[in-house]
Amino acid sequence: MDPLLLGVIVGLATIAVLMSGISVGVGLLTVSALFLLIFDGSRSLQMMPEIFFGDLNSFTILSIPMFIVMGAAIASTRAGADIFEAIERWLTRVPGGLVVSNIGACALFAAMSGSSPATCAAIGKMGIPEMRKRGYPDTVAAGSIAAGGTLGILIPPSVTMIVYGIATETSIGRLFLAGLVPGVMLAGIFMLWSIFATWQAGGLEVFQARSYSLRERLEVLPRVLPFLIVVGLVLYAMYGGIATTSETAAVGAVACLLMAIVIYRMWSPRAIWGVLRDSTRESIMILFIMAAAGVFAYMMSSLFITQSIAAWITELEVNRWVLMLIINIFLLVAGFFLPPVAVILMTAPVLLPILEAANFDPYWFAVILTINLEIGLITPPVGLNLFVINSIAPEISLKTILIGSLPYVLCMVLAIVLLCFFPWIATALPDALMGPMIGG
Amino acid sequence: AAKELRLSHQFAVGDLRHKVAEMVASDVAAADVDLEIRIFPASSLFKANDQYIPLTRGQLDMTLFPLSYAGGQQQVYNLTLFPGLIESHEHAKRVNESPFMDEIEKVLNEDDVMTLVRGYLAGGFASVDGCVRRPEDVQGKTVRAAGKGFEEMLEAAGASIASMPSSENYNAMQQNILQALNTSSSSFVSFRLYELAECYTPATDRALWFMYQPLLINKTTFEDLTPEQQQALLDASARAEAFYAEEAAKEDAASVEVFREAGVEIAEMSDEDYAAWQALAEESSYRIFAEEVPDGQRWLDLATAVE
Amino acid sequence: MSGQTVAVPARHGGDPFVRTVHAISIFCGWLAAGLLVASLLITCQMIFVRAVMGQSTIWQTETVIYMVITGVCLGLSYVQLVRGHVNVDLLPLAMSPRIRFAWAVTIKLVTVVVIALMAWYSFDVLHQAWSRNWRSPSVWAPKIWPVWAAITAGFAMLLLQLLSDLYALLRGIDQPFSLETT
Ligand code: NA
Ligand code: NA
Repeated sequence: MDPLLLGVIVGLATIAVLMSGISVGVGLLTVSALFLLIFDGSRSLQMMPEIFFGDLNSFTILSIPMFIVMGAAIASTRAGADIFEAIERWLTRVPGGLVVSNIGACALFAAMSGSSPATCAAIGKMGIPEMRKRGYPDTVAAGSIAAGGTLGILIPPSVTMIVYGIATETSIGRLFLAGLVPGVMLAGIFMLWSIFATWQAGGLEVFQARSYSLRERLEVLPRVLPFLIVVGLVLYAMYGGIATTSETAAVGAVACLLMAIVIYRMWSPRAIWGVLRDSTRESIMILFIMAAAGVFAYMMSSLFITQSIAAWITELEVNRWVLMLIINIFLLVAGFFLPPVAVILMTAPVLLPILEAANFDPYWFAVILTINLEIGLITPPVGLNLFVINSIAPEISLKTILIGSLPYVLCMVLAIVLLCFFPWIATALPDALMGPMIGG
Repeated sequence: AAKELRLSHQFAVGDLRHKVAEMVASDVAAADVDLEIRIFPASSLFKANDQYIPLTRGQLDMTLFPLSYAGGQQQVYNLTLFPGLIESHEHAKRVNESPFMDEIEKVLNEDDVMTLVRGYLAGGFASVDGCVRRPEDVQGKTVRAAGKGFEEMLEAAGASIASMPSSENYNAMQQNILQALNTSSSSFVSFRLYELAECYTPATDRALWFMYQPLLINKTTFEDLTPEQQQALLDASARAEAFYAEEAAKEDAASVEVFREAGVEIAEMSDEDYAAWQALAEESSYRIFAEEVPDGQRWLDLATAVE
Repeated sequence: MSGQTVAVPARHGGDPFVRTVHAISIFCGWLAAGLLVASLLITCQMIFVRAVMGQSTIWQTETVIYMVITGVCLGLSYVQLVRGHVNVDLLPLAMSPRIRFAWAVTIKLVTVVVIALMAWYSFDVLHQAWSRNWRSPSVWAPKIWPVWAAITAGFAMLLLQLLSDLYALLRGIDQPFSLETT
């Protein structure tokens, strides 16, 4: 059979299986097993566990559970609320200070956590009730946190960037740096929209802020500072030549665990188990999907689908920006349904040769890809952040959360457009700190 | 339809080893014996370390890979990347024809694998912090070697061994986590390590580092081919082997040129330096091999018997 | 929020078989968490030994990798128990209760078959790694069969948890896709 036609069939089958309600990891294994058996014979089927093992057999992958532990340790404490409070006390004179503080707190928390739902939960628990109390519309309260939470995978550290780095053999340190400025920019866009939406809905009286004395401002700092120091140290270790990403992640995780225990007095074994349980569950879920997506990628390559699609698109010779538009729409649709990790692992082998042929910077593209996947986190049907908001603020209806989040989707699209016109937003920082990019 | 064989390897499309695989594939296609070889380059099917087991089980038909990567399955394969065992490309040619390699072939055959193209590639050291000439030069440095025998020798020289995937080499060296590394002349160039290195100790008319990287096929798969197909494959392999040996020798000089142009200092090992490494290897990797591997001394004697 | 359908962790409904399987899965979850913590500590030890003591690190990298692989596989059943494996439940949510039940049984059966395949072929590799004495190719060269034993055990445990889920579903102890109306 023609590999391209086969590719279409595999694509349709994958959509059908994943929509069935089967878990994503098992679904990917099911599709892979089916097509390997039919088109490659049972000898390939036998190899599934070895490929599964091979995909996990890497030291780099370890940074994923470690960054998850780091984020979960911080999320288990009041640190999220403290960060939020500290920023709020300092930004109180800024118009819309409260929602600006919330998004700022999301961005800061994102710098300590590699995952988006965790960021969402940590800031939203305190931030949403506070915003509602002060008269912010529900749409803004829920939407700003849902969107702010997505910064978790754009601002380093980021689980999805690690996965992209593994799948494409690009430098994870460089990917992290590439995400930093676009992350801050996106936070800024979110803030502007939030202020505008609040002004439109509630008028100016919402912006009436509480004033804080200098003493009140200073007293919140000691509670936040230790975590900021750890983040600083982690970044220093990563870029200062002390340790690799995985090693740094391990140190960061242990430091955050210890601080949660010492500073926030998380003495009880039950609380510590809570952190470990949550991070174990999330890590295993992600790593299982990763390994299953690896088996899927093997099936696609083995049946020569990956290579044929890449060759076909390259031969189309469309304008490279038309190509980028198509890729973006494709990623957006994939992100609606699938968790970011699965999207990256399933598409990277196909997309990378195409991007190389069209001369796109892989680090710049990682940022574009990540923002696309962030959109998936706040859109139905599988918007993880929407569900997080729904569980921490049950009094806001899912419909309101959805309506509130939609404008932020447009903010992200705007960010993608800006990045296409000004690629240096992503590439300038890594170029400046790590030297110009090498290789293809 | 024509019978299709799948060949997997880890190297980039521009690499010499891909050219060898391509040569066999195109010669077999030209022989018109209803046989087609489909190449999966750059680890697009199996990762570098994960090719031997599927090959032994007939799940993969052919591979071109460093045999020492399978040292965990057959410990004697570690001898195909061993410090000071081979001195020059001329010597490597003689080793290829020696009883030692015939014995290795027997071990491969027991795993249902046979060799189509034999070939050794030479390599050296690149470092970001002083030149590596003698064992003392790696003391206290973190080094990545590419095989058990080398790692044992470097450890005996007082180096820290970092085991990281080859894809992290460039970044590790850039971040100064790795101060020196050992790989083949071809890989030095394809990894673009000349952009980072301060000093390069290449393979010249004599080298410490030779790695066996043959083209292998599953034996049962081969035996199931028609006699015409087998003959076409063997003929193509013989031509590729000659090309491989010739080009392998050129790669060393070519890599020196690339490093020199990038402004990297080129270091040379004197006779005395070379002897110091050999003495160190004798008391580390050679001794450990003889102790750990059943029949290890006999294997070492066989391998070192080649003049 | 009333009238909303949410996925909840598996219920055992007092059934001894289901309870036993749940207890084993929880134990596996503890093991997985323990392995994760141990791998964190070993990584820190490795950095200390290399950066502070300036010594060679031989066994740590591989140990940590194998511990995490072991942890991931052993923890699969625990994550299944707490419904931590994400899925797209759009279609099941749109179904009428009876169709949803039949559909849930079908999906469970498919999952059981695929995981059984994984368990069986893992055992196949375990057998080879054991009988041929396979080692890792590193300078430390540990035997590789214990990792495969853990992978096999992990998939087997997941299979057991899935069978218990199927049983609970058929007995009406648990709801299809664990979806419950709150
Ligand atoms: Na982050
Ligand atoms: Na979505």
